[in-house]
Amino acid sequence: MSLSHFLAALDELVEDATRSLASVDSTETLEALRVKFVGAKNGALKSVQKLLASVEVPDKPAAGKRFNEVRDTIQAALDAAAAAVGGTGSGKASGPKLDATLPGLRPRLGQLHPITQTIEHLKEIMGRLGFSVTEGPEIEDTWHNFVALNIPEDHPARDPLDNFYLATANKQSASDHDAMLLRSQTSTVQIRVMESQPLPMRIISLGRVYRPDAPDATHFPMFHQMEGLWVDRHVTMAQLKSVLRLFATSYLGSDVNVRFRPSFFPFTEPSVEVDYWWNGQWIEFGGAGMVDPNVFAHLNIDSEKYSGFAFGLGVERLCMRRFGITDIRDLYRSDVRFLRQFAS
Amino acid sequence: MLVSWEWLSDYVDLTVGHEEMATRWALTGLNHESTELVEGVPVIDLEVTSNRGDCLGYIGIAREAAVLLSQTLRIPQPAPTESGRDVADQLQISNRYVDGCPRYIGRLIRGVKVGPSPEWLQKRLRAIGVKSINNVVDATNSVMFECGQPLHAFDFSQIRGGQIIIRRAEPKESFVAIDHKTYQLDPDMVVIADSERAVALGGVMGGVDSEVTDQTVDVLLEAADFIPLAIRRTARKLKLHSPASHRYERRVDSQQLDWASKRCCELILKIAGGELQKGMVDTGEKPFAAPEINLRADRIIKVLGIEVPWSTTLDILKRLGCSVIDGGANGSATVLPPSYRMDLTREIDLIEEVARIYGYDKIPEDAVVPMVASARRPKDTMMQTVRNVCCGFGFSETMTPSLIGKTPASSISPWSDIAPLSTMVPLLEGASQLRRSLVPSLLASRLHNQQQSNKDVHLFETSNVYLPVASGLPREQFHLGALGGEDLREIVGLFEEVVSRVCGADLLEKEIQKEVVSWPFLQPESGVQWTLDGHVLAWAGVVSRSIVDGMKLDASMGVGELNLDRLLTIAREVPRLQGIVPFPVVDRDLNLIVDESLRWLELEQAVKSAAGPLCVGIAFQEIYRDTKKDGEGKKRMLFSLQLQSATETLTSQQADEVIQRVVGRCKEQFGATLLA
Repeated sequence: MSLSHFLAALDELVEDATRSLASVDSTETLEALRVKFVGAKNGALKSVQKLLASVEVPDKPAAGKRFNEVRDTIQAALDAAAAAVGGTGSGKASGPKLDATLPGLRPRLGQLHPITQTIEHLKEIMGRLGFSVTEGPEIEDTWHNFVALNIPEDHPARDPLDNFYLATANKQSASDHDAMLLRSQTSTVQIRVMESQPLPMRIISLGRVYRPDAPDATHFPMFHQMEGLWVDRHVTMAQLKSVLRLFATSYLGSDVNVRFRPSFFPFTEPSVEVDYWWNGQWIEFGGAGMVDPNVFAHLNIDSEKYSGFAFGLGVERLCMRRFGITDIRDLYRSDVRFLRQFAS
Repeated sequence: MLVSWEWLSDYVDLTVGHEEMATRWALTGLNHESTELVEGVPVIDLEVTSNRGDCLGYIGIAREAAVLLSQTLRIPQPAPTESGRDVADQLQISNRYVDGCPRYIGRLIRGVKVGPSPEWLQKRLRAIGVKSINNVVDATNSVMFECGQPLHAFDFSQIRGGQIIIRRAEPKESFVAIDHKTYQLDPDMVVIADSERAVALGGVMGGVDSEVTDQTVDVLLEAADFIPLAIRRTARKLKLHSPASHRYERRVDSQQLDWASKRCCELILKIAGGELQKGMVDTGEKPFAAPEINLRADRIIKVLGIEVPWSTTLDILKRLGCSVIDGGANGSATVLPPSYRMDLTREIDLIEEVARIYGYDKIPEDAVVPMVASARRPKDTMMQTVRNVCCGFGFSETMTPSLIGKTPASSISPWSDIAPLSTMVPLLEGASQLRRSLVPSLLASRLHNQQQSNKDVHLFETSNVYLPVASGLPREQFHLGALGGEDLREIVGLFEEVVSRVCGADLLEKEIQKEVVSWPFLQPESGVQWTLDGHVLAWAGVVSRSIVDGMKLDASMGVGELNLDRLLTIAREVPRLQGIVPFPVVDRDLNLIVDESLRWLELEQAVKSAAGPLCVGIAFQEIYRDTKKDGEGKKRMLFSLQLQSATETLTSQQADEVIQRVVGRCKEQFGATLLA
């Protein structure tokens, strides 16, 4: 028998069986159809199986494969019909009883670090306010980390004990002009962006910063900051306050008031500390101010034409508050019992 | 700065309660730290920013209060009675280090009676936590806290030759201070010496032999201006920080020296008696040259975004002590700041003064913020994919410090042969190496988890590594690092999925070159490296036995790193539809007996090339060994081929032909036998 004839016979059988079984409405009809199609002695399937012997040898694998498929299809149709009329179909159990109350299969997924989740959240909110993300190097020269930020050589912020200067073979002095250090603030990115990108600009920069603080529950020598900068022809402190309020309202999820307290940073003037009134108390947010004209002068930007504001905040503090973390050191211990709690 | 509410009221009528005053100070620049009651008197701790040295004395704080409360500031006018001889005949002062000490004033009081201070003074000092020493020293401290100008009293009988010399310290000079400790000096330090030896370390601490004691009869009173940098360096180097050095570091008002000196003499005469000798010795008053600043009303609007009435602006500045030379009604004024406000040198500085006193609460928080477009960076898009894949594969994200210590793992550096950079001060104990690979940190993390008995630790981190270069800033390269279990395929699979999702499966299948690497930090032949256009994109391998043992890890594990900077350069923006082939895929399984040494990579390449274009996929299934049947040194490799034609349904004959070619090639090239 040729393969094509055999396959045609199978096709006919499967079509007949599925059509008849689809309209079964009683266990009696079902049983009759069962005998007709899969009966052990004279069932239609059995008859076709006998034909298989006469198929030519090279075609046997293909014929056998198709036969198996047809058999499975008819069995499935029988099972479905049995389920439909409430019977057991073939009359015998098709395997161990299913316990649908067993717990589901759940491959273990990983999860993002709470700092990453916080950073992504901040980027998303600031993005909606028109701030684009930029980056700068973590290892900086003293020009970008200090000089251009209006921190002159005799400023205490440059002290070797307050910074992570790199040790190099021929120089050990932090006062060298080409000394390098781990950046102590993301404000360095302001300088890099203003050096290289056209005005106006509205950017944020997020990343690691380093300061030699002895580790305790609220200090770690490595942490993350978000820096924001907006420079344009008419940027005012009122806009600074408004942007920070929009940010806080988005981040905290309800209408929030902003308070400025005067402060001092070398790279902004006026400089303020920013607080949010939330849940009945003032919460410290970070520092902000109008870009100091000296910073603009270092970058050859005319401060009569352009003005700008900058703000900076610690990511860890927002993150810890958000996730209820009380010890900053836990963030950097890699303990999976800690990390797995931030699956979201 | 600790402020006693009672003492402060000497200088200004405090018309509000101390709590409200503390809030008003906080909102105008003097941050409120805390308030305590000391002997029934409120003592308020105010944080003074480093630009506001003028607020390191009661008068400065009182001035702020007077401005905020619209009260008059009362500054005492000292007029100590002089008697005796001219000071100039009894004392010589020569200044040989004007760069370190621009001005030095000396006055002489003879015949004092050193003893305890009167109770009212002791109480004032107690309130702000200052120990009472004796009436003369207490007088100097009291005036320092009053006006911010440090003063020093010498026992004049110990000043040899009646001579004061201000000079640099000699190389290797040493000095015994009031605390009886010996300090090694260096030539940047300012020394106050007599004709023979150092008697004080200028601005930092007095000497033990010239201090005022119960035996002191004649007192030399120093009022000096030392420059901040010299004092800061000295105080840092010798770890000698004092209220005096704190004030000098923030610059003192040179114009105020004489006032402070007279004020202190007046107090000493009052509480310790004696005769103030006539006049003083002054090494020279530097003429005061405050910058004339032009202030424009429209500039205030431009910076603050609100209009401050011009008359209010000028009034605020005047109350803060500025002189308004020319306050024209045209919205422009020439302003001269007072000598004690050395932080006011530019228009923007004046604008800040106006803003903080006028009140930042008057700046609205609903100003118009024009909308602009901000696109998500391709990097952020890529990173979302990378993180999703890592999490989906069961890896937890971690963050580890950028600096590492020396461990058996710190030699892992597949990206650079140059020694790592290090910091002068370690980030954490022993950790001063800037990492050149994320893997040492991940191994340390793995060890921490092992010590906590945490099971099933799969970690990833995306962070920079720091690759040294010949000169200039090091190259910061952004990596994905991953650590899995013993099966290296977890790491390889993770990287395959990441690359395929970010760049498309084709790049992974066709363009990336894979090669086996043998690195000392990996188990022999366990490493694989992916390169693209000759540059390394990623590597993965099983950590060597010696690192596992050296770190006391409880198992070996797969680790790897992928260069995300490089990946970004080849990332596709969005997946593009490739079309769907309407013809079925034919799956064929193969089970080949091959030599143990045959690698999948070689087998796959041979199979691909033999199978030709109809082969649309090769899927590895498993390796197993049956040495009884197949003999030693043999293994069985099971895999399946997916065959499909783009133009027709494949017949079994076509499929068989492909399989025969594949089997034939494998037999020829590797001596492989097909298992029926």
